[in-house]
Amino acid sequence: MTHDPDQEQDQQDDHAAEPAIRAEALESLLIEKGILDPAAVDEVIERYNERVGPMNGAQLVARAWVDEDFRALLLRDGTEAVNRFEFRGGQVDKLVVVENTPAVHNVVVCTLCSCYPWAVLGLPPKWYKDPAYRSRVVREPRAVLREFGTRLDDDVSVRVWDSSAEIRYMVLPERPPAWADLSEEQLASRVTRDSMIGVEVLA
Amino acid sequence: MSAPDPLTALTGAATPPQANGEAMFEAPWQGRLFGMAVALNEAGLFEWADFQARLIHHIGVWDRAHSNPTPAGTAAAPYAYYEHFGAALNDLVTRTTPLTAAEFDARVREYRARPHGHDHDHDHDH
Amino acid sequence: MDGIHDQGGRPGNAPIDTDSGAAAALDPRWHAAVFASINALFASGVAANTDYFRHAIERIDPDCYLEHGYYGRWLGAAETMLVEAGVISTAEIDARARERGASSADRVAARPGTRPEGLTPGDAGSAQRTLAAAPRYAIGERVRTARDAQPGHTRLPAYARDAVGTVIAWHDGWVFPDSHAHGRGEDPQHLYTIAFERSALWPDSEAGPGDTVCLDLFEPYLCPEPDAP
Repeated sequence: MTHDPDQEQDQQDDHAAEPAIRAEALESLLIEKGILDPAAVDEVIERYNERVGPMNGAQLVARAWVDEDFRALLLRDGTEAVNRFEFRGGQVDKLVVVENTPAVHNVVVCTLCSCYPWAVLGLPPKWYKDPAYRSRVVREPRAVLREFGTRLDDDVSVRVWDSSAEIRYMVLPERPPAWADLSEEQLASRVTRDSMIGVEVLA
Repeated sequence: MSAPDPLTALTGAATPPQANGEAMFEAPWQGRLFGMAVALNEAGLFEWADFQARLIHHIGVWDRAHSNPTPAGTAAAPYAYYEHFGAALNDLVTRTTPLTAAEFDARVREYRARPHGHDHDHDHDH
Repeated sequence: MDGIHDQGGRPGNAPIDTDSGAAAALDPRWHAAVFASINALFASGVAANTDYFRHAIERIDPDCYLEHGYYGRWLGAAETMLVEAGVISTAEIDARARERGASSADRVAARPGTRPEGLTPGDAGSAQRTLAAAPRYAIGERVRTARDAQPGHTRLPAYARDAVGTVIAWHDGWVFPDSHAHGRGEDPQHLYTIAFERSALWPDSEAGPGDTVCLDLFEPYLCPEPDAP
C-alpha cells in the first residue's frame, strides 16, 4: 500500500475536527433552546483563566491581611506559608513575598526569560513574557506602571525584583482602607493578579 | 451541596488535565466544553457527582476497548480526556434538558457538511 | 552570553500591551502543541535540564526571538534540542514543513549546534543544594559584579555587569546554571540577592529616591568591593 501523505493528512484533519464540531453543535443548540446564555461559556473560561491560578496568591494575601502572625510568616518564609495552604499544583522551590508599604512599591520581572511564580499566580500574562516589559520595567518602572494606570507618589521608592535564579517573587499589596470591613473570603476574591506582580495598586 | 469547582469536584480518573492548578486545554473546543459544563452546573441542571459518574462510565468503555490503557493511551489511540468529557456532557444534557440525541446528531451532520476552512482563525502574533 | 534574550534595560521604549491576558483556551492550537512537545522533551531527556532548555531559547535566531512570541521561542528551542540530540534532522523538519505549506522564505528560529556531552538531568523536586563551604559574602556587604560577558549560559544580565551593589539576602546553595547547561554538572554555588541603586545602573533614568533593582546572583559572578563609598 502506497503511503499517501495528503490523504493521511485529510483523515487526520477530519479526526481532529470532529470533537470541535461536536462541541460547537452542542453549544449552538443549547443557546438556541434558551438553556445556555451565549456569554456564559466565555465568562467561565475567562474566570478560570484569570482566577484559578491567581486565587492561590490571593488567598495568601487575604490571610496575611487578617492574621498578623501569618503575615509575618509569609514575609519571613514564603515557601513555608504556601505549604501551610496545600494548594493544588502549588509546588514552589523557594518563594519570597515582598510587601508594599507607603514608602516602598515592589514590582516583579524576569528580564532574561519569563520566570514567574506559577504556583501562586497561575499562568503569566502575555505582556509579562514580552520584550517590552522585560526591557523597560527595570530601567523606567514608573513609566511602565503609568501604562497600567498606576501612579505612585514621588516619595515612594520603587524596588524591582529581577527573577534571575530559581527564587520566585510575589508582591503583598497594601490593603485598601475601603476594604477594612470585608471578610477574608471577600478580600481574596478582590485581590488581582496584577497587584501581586506589582503593576497595579488596589483601591 | 456540590463543590462549585470541577477541578476539585471531579476526582481520580475524572480529574480535568491541569498544570499548576490551572485547567489545561489543548484546543479551544475543550475550553468550550469545560465552560458549558460549569455554566450548566451553576444553572442547577446537574451535580458534579452525576457528571463524574457519566465521565467514569465513558472512560471505562474506552479502557475496555483498548488493551493496556494508560492515561496517555497508546500511540495508535491516544487517550483524550475531553472526548470523554464531551460524551458525559451530552448524556447529562439529553437527560436534563429538552435537547434530544437526534437533534444533536442532526446538528453535527449539518456542521460536518460545511466546506473546509469556513472558520479559519486569523493567526494572531503572540 | 550576550544575546537577544538579555532584555533588561534595552532601549526601544515600545508600549506594553497591558490588555493581553493569559487567554489559554483561545490561543491557536499550535501553542498547545508546542507546550505538549516541550513536556515530552523533558520527559524523554532530550531537554536534559531546565538550564540547557533556557540556553536553547537564548540561542535561537534573534529576529524570531523578538517576533515569534513566547511559544515561537519554545518551538525554536524544541527544534534546536531535537536536532542536537540527533532525533531528527533539519532537512526532515524542513521537508515536513514544506508539505504543510511552508515557504523557503519563512524564517526559522532554531539554531542547532552541538549537544554538550555530559548533560545531567535536573532534580525534579528542587535546585537547592546544601553546601559545605561557607558563603563568602555577608548581608550588608558591598560587592561588584563580573565585568566580562561569558560565552555560554549565565544568569547575570548585561545591565548588571561591573556594577556595585549590596548583599541583602543569602539563600545557601543552588545548582549553578552556567555549568548545568553545558554538561559540567550541578557545581552548586551560593546564591545571594544583591540590591543595586537604579540611578547607578542607569544614571539618566527617571529619578526616584532609593529606587533599587534586586537580582539573585551566584557567588562566581561577584567579587568584594572594598572601597565602599
